[in-house]
Amino acid sequence: MTTAEKDYPTEIMEHRWISNKTFEIKLSRPESFNFRPGQRISLKLMNFERDYSLASSPDEPHLTLCIRYVEGGRLSHVLGDAEKGTRFSFCGPHGYFTFKSSQRPAVLVASGTGIAPFRSMVRSGIAPEFLLHGVETSAELYYAEELQPAAGNYIPCLSQSSKSQPYFEGRVTDYLRRHLPPVSYDFYLCGRREMIRDVTLLVDERFAGSFIYTETFY
Amino acid sequence: MKIYTGTGDKGKTSLFSGERVSKASDRIEAYGDLDELNSVLGALIAHLPSDRSDLVGELQQIQANIFVIGSWLATTPSSPVVDSLAPIEKEQIVFLENAIDRLDNLLPELKNFILPGGHIAAAWAHVARSICRRTERRTVEVLEEFDTDETTEELTKAMIYLNRLSDYLFVLARECNRLHGLSDIPWNKS
Repeated sequence: MTTAEKDYPTEIMEHRWISNKTFEIKLSRPESFNFRPGQRISLKLMNFERDYSLASSPDEPHLTLCIRYVEGGRLSHVLGDAEKGTRFSFCGPHGYFTFKSSQRPAVLVASGTGIAPFRSMVRSGIAPEFLLHGVETSAELYYAEELQPAAGNYIPCLSQSSKSQPYFEGRVTDYLRRHLPPVSYDFYLCGRREMIRDVTLLVDERFAGSFIYTETFY
Repeated sequence: MKIYTGTGDKGKTSLFSGERVSKASDRIEAYGDLDELNSVLGALIAHLPSDRSDLVGELQQIQANIFVIGSWLATTPSSPVVDSLAPIEKEQIVFLENAIDRLDNLLPELKNFILPGGHIAAAWAHVARSICRRTERRTVEVLEEFDTDETTEELTKAMIYLNRLSDYLFVLARECNRLHGLSDIPWNKS
């Protein structure tokens, strides 16, 4: 029979805004808590529960979350305004969105805060051939400095025009269609449902024999 | 939360091991049958007597085991995701065998073939039994496509589990009739 999942106590050690819409919190890490890069935890706060992907590596002493502030959102709103020392609980780890070794090149595709599990993987020593980050403006390319040297090709894709910046202008699907050679890959997709749908359909059309692993943010 | 993804609108779906496959492929058929079986078990549970929480618990454990079998059907042999799957426990097969013997001991000896039916709970148990048999056949088809490895060992256990489960559902159907004071309906050849 299934047993009740264990709750871990935690508190906010650090809180900082990494763009005008996104903040990062570092949580104390209970000694017995372990996870694999790419997994999520479920935060429990004010009778509400929500899953967030961990953005730190399992070797780090704290747990890092990267959260988009949603106006009117129940938990992001509370966490966005939370102060250092705020206590709550979480359970986990959850999910199977972990990196799988393969002969095929890995293409990691994130939209917005969907970059979190990929940051965890990269900080754990995984070096993907391609890492695409779809955002609206270059101000949201948090973690660019550490991701750029870790991936074979780090490709920010900006959906809003940015003449002065040396970035790809367009959606991640535009980049994949125009620039990724049509062979087989392992695609890891994390972020908005629409991005995951569009990339999956493009993979079926253009990158036959590829594998797809997904983590959808709601 | 929206539950639709739109990623299958062109007839393909993703396996747990990452491949994109046709929705008409053998494995999708197999775990589709497994899903059907699990749903029908839910209908059966809904028709069990309210004072038989023991049978409800037994069937809910079976429903949980069916999810584990589904994860193996959705995984290609030698995939690295095999490491994250729960094994199919041999003890669960023994559990079914013991449950079959326990229920069978409560029932009059069977001297004829019987017609599926009787009480509504028994009727659902027979529907589940026949879907379970189909799922077993589909699992054998999938198994025959693969070379032997860890996944096929698990699918072999799944095949045995499904075989025992259909026998369990047969005696459970008879038990449902007995609990409601009904006799099995013998097959009358004439």
